[in-house]
Amino acid sequence: MDQLLNQEEREFAQHMRDFYRTEIPEAIRYKVATGQEMGKDDLVTTQRILNKHGYAVPNWPVEWGGQDWTPVQRHIWLEEMQLACVPQPLAFNASMVGPVIAAFGSQEIKERFLPATANIDIWWSQGFSEPDAGSDLASLKTSAVRKGDVYIVNGQKTWTTLGQYGDWIFMLVRTDPTVKKQAGISFLLIDMTTPGVTVRPIELIDGSVEVNEVFFDNVEVPVENLVGEENKGWTYAKFLLGNERTGIARIGTSKVNLARAKAYAAMTRTSRGTLLDDPMFSARLTKLEARLTALEFTQLRILSTQVAGNDQPDPRSSVLKLHGSQLQQDITELLVDVLGPQGLDFIEAPATADGFTDLPTASVDAIRDYFNYRKVTIYGGSSEVQRGIISKAILGL
Amino acid sequence: MDLELTDEQRELKSTVARLLRTEYDAAAREEILRSEKGWSEEKWQTFAELGLLGLPFSEDYDGADMGFAEVAVVMEEFGRALVLEPYLSTVVLGGGLVDAAGTPQQKQDILPGLIEGEKLLAFAGYEPTSRYDLTAPSTTAADSGSGFAVSGEKSSVLGAADAHTFVVSAAVDGGVGLFLVDADAQGVTVEGRMQADGIRAGSVVFADAPATRLGAGDASAVIERVVDTANAALAAEAVGAMEASLTMTAEYLKTREQFGAPIGVNQVLQHRAADAYATLESAKSMALYAKLAITGEESADEGAGDSKSRHRDVLASKLIIDDASREISQESIQMHGGIGMTMEYPIGHYAKRLTVIPRTFDDVDTVSQELASLGGLIEPEAADLS
Repeated sequence: MDQLLNQEEREFAQHMRDFYRTEIPEAIRYKVATGQEMGKDDLVTTQRILNKHGYAVPNWPVEWGGQDWTPVQRHIWLEEMQLACVPQPLAFNASMVGPVIAAFGSQEIKERFLPATANIDIWWSQGFSEPDAGSDLASLKTSAVRKGDVYIVNGQKTWTTLGQYGDWIFMLVRTDPTVKKQAGISFLLIDMTTPGVTVRPIELIDGSVEVNEVFFDNVEVPVENLVGEENKGWTYAKFLLGNERTGIARIGTSKVNLARAKAYAAMTRTSRGTLLDDPMFSARLTKLEARLTALEFTQLRILSTQVAGNDQPDPRSSVLKLHGSQLQQDITELLVDVLGPQGLDFIEAPATADGFTDLPTASVDAIRDYFNYRKVTIYGGSSEVQRGIISKAILGL
Repeated sequence: MDLELTDEQRELKSTVARLLRTEYDAAAREEILRSEKGWSEEKWQTFAELGLLGLPFSEDYDGADMGFAEVAVVMEEFGRALVLEPYLSTVVLGGGLVDAAGTPQQKQDILPGLIEGEKLLAFAGYEPTSRYDLTAPSTTAADSGSGFAVSGEKSSVLGAADAHTFVVSAAVDGGVGLFLVDADAQGVTVEGRMQADGIRAGSVVFADAPATRLGAGDASAVIERVVDTANAALAAEAVGAMEASLTMTAEYLKTREQFGAPIGVNQVLQHRAADAYATLESAKSMALYAKLAITGEESADEGAGDSKSRHRDVLASKLIIDDASREISQESIQMHGGIGMTMEYPIGHYAKRLTVIPRTFDDVDTVSQELASLGGLIEPEAADLS
């Protein structure tokens, strides 16, 4: 990519490259590079370092800690972060609730929440999906009924990622059940320690307890926790989901993971040499590399036509989500296949007892990620939702 | 970062597009396709007058002194209109080889005539039993005292029947050399054929045909570079054809009615069209990637270009373009139904071109293998922590 950048952009890329590698603890980056699980502390530590230097929330307005960057600079910031194996700022804070509060919140709510959100003094959870409101999010039922100075909230949210760490949760709630479903939704902030809030973990097939159900039983929420206007929540949600799609292709991360698969393949012996020399394997690998390059250039093409300050989502970003998520899944599968039979053990650490050969480093996360990454074509607008957007917004069907 | 066309390139694009819209519609093309020659002298002259044939060549030889970026603009528009004239064979391949390997005198003898539209070239490189391999021709060139004598059989020669001069690859001095052979020289026999897409190609037998050597020294690197350029040109052409094909298909989904409604209301078709669109975006990205590989080397100082990365990048581009061409051509026919298989409807013609392109100069498997042998695109060290 470097050859496409101008002098200034190249210097910026080099600056970010150096910054990530010198300021973020190597132990954290090593965990990311080798696919080990991130703890809450790792994420908080990283985000606070980024925030101290103004790199946690560059997408926010400048007065709240954002940067006056071009779309290309933002791309470089993220790409270099991923290439340096630095864990990204918590999406719920940095790319979801933060921008919504900054764009639609009152001055008071901004002051109350934005600095703490940027610095992850508050860990946010997302309360959007419900058992009966997935892709059809607007059909959500969790209700908030105004009673004097409070809303009384009742209902259930689900797929709340890392909800076990959550201090606060931003919610879509139904404040008017009598109108068209999109017109009766509000955006509400709830302290998760409020009586009546219960978090129940959901165990997933990858062995993780990453997501949760959150129950609300007559939870009293002060009315000043409403963001923007009552019943305008759907507009804010669409704004939030539009932001979510940018950067969702995770190209830098895919590059690192593909490089990992390649490095392991080069160390893996077969009857013909290394796995990298195997014609079937290398054909599969090169196709993935070419697809990843195509995706990167699609992202660059979209970026190069974007002007600074224009945050309207380009419908072509659905292509990024569609192809980016498929690629991420295919790369996790490749990593499992590089390991062969050893990739099948469901383990937490590669070290083994004395007298046994340690398992390959990649075996910690390969098969777990394979199952975990089934999510990427489902969340953030499933692949089917993206195809729907493309066929309507671009092809006019 | 600017990946868009320059103003000049945009103007070239709209000039060519306008010309083809008015003078190269489906009916005009049909007539050319069914003519004995299979391409039109008159259109060729129009292209020459517009300066399209001289785009990549130096002013010293009456060229426009532009580069591959402009050739790519023309190829994309040619792809959209399924142009049948021998631009790829004469300008990109034949002209490209003469320009890259020839002596100044040879360029002076050949290029001005080519640029005027008087002289057609063809690259005779592939052979009947060696598939896509260009590195070890069994055609030979022997010193004949006054020059060389070339012997052997070449196949899949684009523009064979109408070429005035062949640029022939042959084994010489333990390596590969390029030789110029006049089409009407003694010992040259041409069997013209038509490819499935209507483009003319053929086989040529050289039996001690008198030849002059194009430039000197081993030509392997030059051949690789010019075929890379031709592949990048094909990528642009494929993008034009794919875009036209998909636009037409989307339009058909909106207008064709069955069960009382346009067939495009069916989600199964919407999603397939959306996948085809996403594929088209990938193809556009990789056509751009190939273009940058070629123009990047053009703009580097003489000899300073990185030929390995250029070759690697073009191969990666071809891999995506080939798969995309296959997907979009097959899906376009399927979504049209039976009408897509008729000669009177354009979609099948696009499908034919998009079936030939992925198998021209190489195919997916060859490309994939060669790309792997060059180490692929991503360095394993990208995963390190330094």
